[in-house]
Amino acid sequence: MHIKYFATFRELAGERSFDLDEPPPDVAGLLELLATRYGDRFRRAVLADGHLGPELILLVNGRNVRLTGGLATPLTPRDDVSVFPMVAGG
Amino acid sequence: MYGWTGTILRVDLTHGTVRRERTDRELAHDYIGARGMGGRIIADEVDPQADPLGPENKMVFAPGPFTGTFAPSGGRYNVITKSPLNNTIAASNSGGTFGPELKYAGYDAVIVEGRSRTPVYLWIRDDEVVIRDASAFWGMNVHDAVDAMRAETDEDAKVACIGPAGENLSLIASVMNEMHRAAGRTGVGAVMGSKKLKAIVVVGTGPVTVADPDRFKSAVLSCTGKIKANPVGGAGLKAYGTNVLVNILNEVGALPTRNFQDGHFPNADKTGGESLAANQLVRPKGCYACVISCGRVTKTDNPLYPGMGEGPEYETAWGFGADSGVDNLDAIVKANYLCNEYGLDTISMSATIACAMELYERGYLTKEDTDGLDLVFGNAQAMVEAVRKTGTGEGFGKRLAEGSYRLAESVGHPELSMTTKKQEMPAYDPRGVQGIGLNYATGNRGGCHVRGYTISYEVLGQGPPMDPHATEGKAALDIAFQNLTAALDATGSCLFATFGIGGPELAEMLSALTGEEYSLEEFLRAGERIWNNERLWNLKVGYSAADDTLPKRLLEEPIKTGASRGEVNRLDEMLPEYYSLRGWDADGVPTQAKLEELAL
Repeated sequence: MHIKYFATFRELAGERSFDLDEPPPDVAGLLELLATRYGDRFRRAVLADGHLGPELILLVNGRNVRLTGGLATPLTPRDDVSVFPMVAGG
Repeated sequence: MYGWTGTILRVDLTHGTVRRERTDRELAHDYIGARGMGGRIIADEVDPQADPLGPENKMVFAPGPFTGTFAPSGGRYNVITKSPLNNTIAASNSGGTFGPELKYAGYDAVIVEGRSRTPVYLWIRDDEVVIRDASAFWGMNVHDAVDAMRAETDEDAKVACIGPAGENLSLIASVMNEMHRAAGRTGVGAVMGSKKLKAIVVVGTGPVTVADPDRFKSAVLSCTGKIKANPVGGAGLKAYGTNVLVNILNEVGALPTRNFQDGHFPNADKTGGESLAANQLVRPKGCYACVISCGRVTKTDNPLYPGMGEGPEYETAWGFGADSGVDNLDAIVKANYLCNEYGLDTISMSATIACAMELYERGYLTKEDTDGLDLVFGNAQAMVEAVRKTGTGEGFGKRLAEGSYRLAESVGHPELSMTTKKQEMPAYDPRGVQGIGLNYATGNRGGCHVRGYTISYEVLGQGPPMDPHATEGKAALDIAFQNLTAALDATGSCLFATFGIGGPELAEMLSALTGEEYSLEEFLRAGERIWNNERLWNLKVGYSAADDTLPKRLLEEPIKTGASRGEVNRLDEMLPEYYSLRGWDADGVPTQAKLEELAL
């Protein structure tokens, strides 16, 4: 699994990307793993009271996980994950 | 009147006269200001069949009621005219500080009509209004002209002016203010050029009166707090600018690439807001009364592309980036600077170059046509040179200056112009985001994202998330965004205020400011009225339902790579519902009942 960070998440993670050979089975497991790896600030940015953080945009293969099952979204080793804060422009 | 100044300035360049008129109270109430009021004035006073570059066309420079107050991010004005690019009502919106200065000088709008025989500029200092000779400034780029006219008038004057592109009647010319801010779209700069009007230079010292100062202050503070509390309005846009969108649009597979031949650009990250913040950004910058500061003061030391200025915004970074196959951010920044200096719309300019690149690669244009430029995708130097040629009107630049539709049509391939109603579409691929495709197709001024920014819900998670690949619910979504945006534009507010506040807050500020009570329903009805006024104009100039469409490529050729691979836009699933919900008949014509409801 290839995980990419963008905008403020690059600063929080201290790296642009990260590869996992054996990812957890779902998004909940992945976020727990990443929060453990990067610490409390990262955890607060991705999780809120056991739910997806309100300012997190998490894409799995380009699809927003809020449309595919949220924390229960299943994962496979071949997935691409993109981690964004809420962004906008135009 | 409160909020409005109560005065409109009418300038006849043919006869060299200036007169003041009272702002019509009913017009102000029903159309609010800026895009709304200006669009109504154009519809009432200009023959839909008029030559947009002839003396019979008029221009309206109009701030809105919020402009010049401390309403958060409420410092904008519009340039409204019949577009020479596509005959629609052009309402091109800009920030900076020019709009507030017009209000302080005492004007709800400046209407410019006729045509001067020689170059002139309009000098306004409150009640003093003079048409002055601009022969010495004609031919100057925007930066030099602004400096020179300030030296002749007042060093603190605010200036809206055209560059050589507008003078040369380029159909993609913009009107620039504060050197780097643009009323960019629909070719408004060419209309100014056709009137031989180089600039409007203004100093204003008067107040904007407020009907209920305590209520207005309370509403403004509440709105400011909400915008600052929003993660995007409060910090995100200031840190990375609008160009932060490059990566997320690329990740969802909706970053139009190489003239919309694909929806994914492998090197996108090199051109995004993160890269700009790390390499070219000097500091963020806001417009008048801005609490967001999305503007970018930038610098590039690259010897090939040296310069300092402002930009790029997301659309510009996309157009000179992914859409042109270029991943050199210094070159993108330089191309932006040149557009600002010559007075060119960065979206239409870049998209026209992308179109030219495809025409060149397919052999429909040759080196003989391009003055020797090897205009292949990814050739950054050729791209920057093409901008320069367009700005100066030199050689192949003359053809680029007419926009992509006319260029592609001239070689027998109009289908390769990525336009709707002949205006270039911006940086969201309608195959990867269905709702924005419907917005492009129905846009009253052609391809445009800021008329109905459904991306907020479909991609950015601002509001209830909606599947970008689904068509269900998109007609209602588009209409809601289009009506709200029309009303917001008319107030003089920045669209980015909606990253924090919505219709109820805008209606409350407007009511407190003007003393005219706008319920949410009435505020949104004003937006719907503005939209339908623009639609009726389009029908009069000859547009029909057949023009509410997208380039064939987007309807038939699936995206090749990335997260939206295999998708096309399914416009036919959305358009009939859109007409029905709008209260229009199957031909896209507003019904009599709808017209009566809107008092049109």
